[in-house]
Amino acid sequence: MNPILSIHNISKSYGPIQALKGVSFDVPEGCVFGVLGPNGSGKTTLLGIILDVLVANAGSYSWFGGMKPEDARKQIGSLLETPNFYHYLSAFNNLEITAAIRQNGLEDRIRVLQQVGLFERKDSKFQTFSLGMKQRLAIGAALLGKPKILVLDEPTNGLDPAGIAEIRDLIRKLNKEGLTIIIASHLLDEIEKVCTHVAILKKGNLLLNRPVDEVLRSEDQVEVRAADMAGLQHALQSMNGIRKIKLADNVLQLSCDAGINSAAINEFCISKGIVLSHLLLRKKSLETKFMELTN
Amino acid sequence: MNALLGIEWLKIKRYRTFWVLAGLFILLLPLWNYEVANGFIKMGGGKNGINFLSNAYSFPQVWGNLGFWASIFITFISILVIILTTNEYTYRTNRQNVIDGWDRMQFYHAKVLLIIVLSFMATFYLFLLGMVFGGVNSGSLSNLFSEFQQVGYFFLLSVDYLGFALFIAIWIKKSGLAIGLFLLYSMIIENILKGIINHYMDKPYGNLLPLQASDELLPFPLLQMAKAMIPMGATLSMTTYAIVAMGWCAVYYFAGRMILLKNDW
Repeated sequence: MNPILSIHNISKSYGPIQALKGVSFDVPEGCVFGVLGPNGSGKTTLLGIILDVLVANAGSYSWFGGMKPEDARKQIGSLLETPNFYHYLSAFNNLEITAAIRQNGLEDRIRVLQQVGLFERKDSKFQTFSLGMKQRLAIGAALLGKPKILVLDEPTNGLDPAGIAEIRDLIRKLNKEGLTIIIASHLLDEIEKVCTHVAILKKGNLLLNRPVDEVLRSEDQVEVRAADMAGLQHALQSMNGIRKIKLADNVLQLSCDAGINSAAINEFCISKGIVLSHLLLRKKSLETKFMELTN
Repeated sequence: MNALLGIEWLKIKRYRTFWVLAGLFILLLPLWNYEVANGFIKMGGGKNGINFLSNAYSFPQVWGNLGFWASIFITFISILVIILTTNEYTYRTNRQNVIDGWDRMQFYHAKVLLIIVLSFMATFYLFLLGMVFGGVNSGSLSNLFSEFQQVGYFFLLSVDYLGFALFIAIWIKKSGLAIGLFLLYSMIIENILKGIINHYMDKPYGNLLPLQASDELLPFPLLQMAKAMIPMGATLSMTTYAIVAMGWCAVYYFAGRMILLKNDW
């Protein structure tokens, strides 16, 4: 499949601080692509560059296989960093400006305001909105004119739990309709629930770029505890299929190959005469993988 | 071009500050001139002062006279241009415009077109006021067009002032600082520089500074009278001032363009 966005060797520095160091990756069409990284890792800088509000020191990018960037942006709905609107204009009048720049018709405004739950407040001035409402309006503006791609930078900022769930459902639904979605966040839980691909950034370096299920595949962890921890550790070292044993917080964390399940471990321990007081299967989360990679 | 201006119009048509400042310009300019023409504002003390300018409202002097006063009142519109531009930076809507599909130059050219339209409207307003004041105060219309180039000078002056204001706004980005610098430069700094340059040069090259060049096109009306009486020394021609003022407009345009293309938004 052709990439809908290609990023090639992008570098950017702010004075002595290098925010991005030669980052390259492709975003395939139709995926939900998560850009992950701790605070200050360069996520927003990267999105700012591909949307032409920041100027890269080196490297290039291309949308839709080389479309003129400003034409491409008209087909991309974006939310970068903060909701940016004219404070003295109402939600409706702000969207009129967005629609005019994107060269969309005006009739779509009602649909997007309903979609983000702001229709009743369409005539209120932007400056009277709460943080969550501003964020919703920004998401609504991004949906204007049915774009082919959404670029969302921390889209759930300022939203309450119900709002976060709504946005997650919206992302899934839009992706099913064929939109490609690029989403930057440090909320891993959120990314894990919706993304099909991830790229992980740390201090401007790209650490990893792969489909999510590949990142998380066959890396289940099992936690065990027994009265005699030293004996348990010794016994488990001889078991096939256990790759790594780590003592943490009074439990042993076992990294296992595919095919090893908690029943097999329990059986093995009993055969060695050890009774387990604690046995827990932990699906490896993106969070643990993320911590491993970024620490 | 129409699309860019149309979007600028959407931005300002519901913005109260725009209407207040534009309204003050529209209201105060004729009021001020009415008072000068009718001797409310005089030189010297109280009711015994001398009304120097009462003759300056008939054709053709009315053009230069109104132009001079309008060149002071254009400050309202300059501040308006600074506010409209720095607002974009404050609200980060400059970024949003680009994210939504403008290229950076479309954002810039929308503002450049706006100052040209504002200058054109201010000039047209000056023309209307001139017709009214001149019509009321002149016996005949025979001299109506004899100094009419001064209306064109006002257009140039307006583009010079508003272009300078736009450049300062793009360069400084912060509304308060930009307005402060604009006023400080136009009222004080430029006069200091002008004084120094003119003192040391054999010709008044200090008059060629950015805003002064166009101010020279519309001097204080009494200066014409004074020139006849006092030896003024070397001077520069109106053509020189007009060309230099146009040159400054080009400098603002290209400097603003460079800042916008090169920097992060």
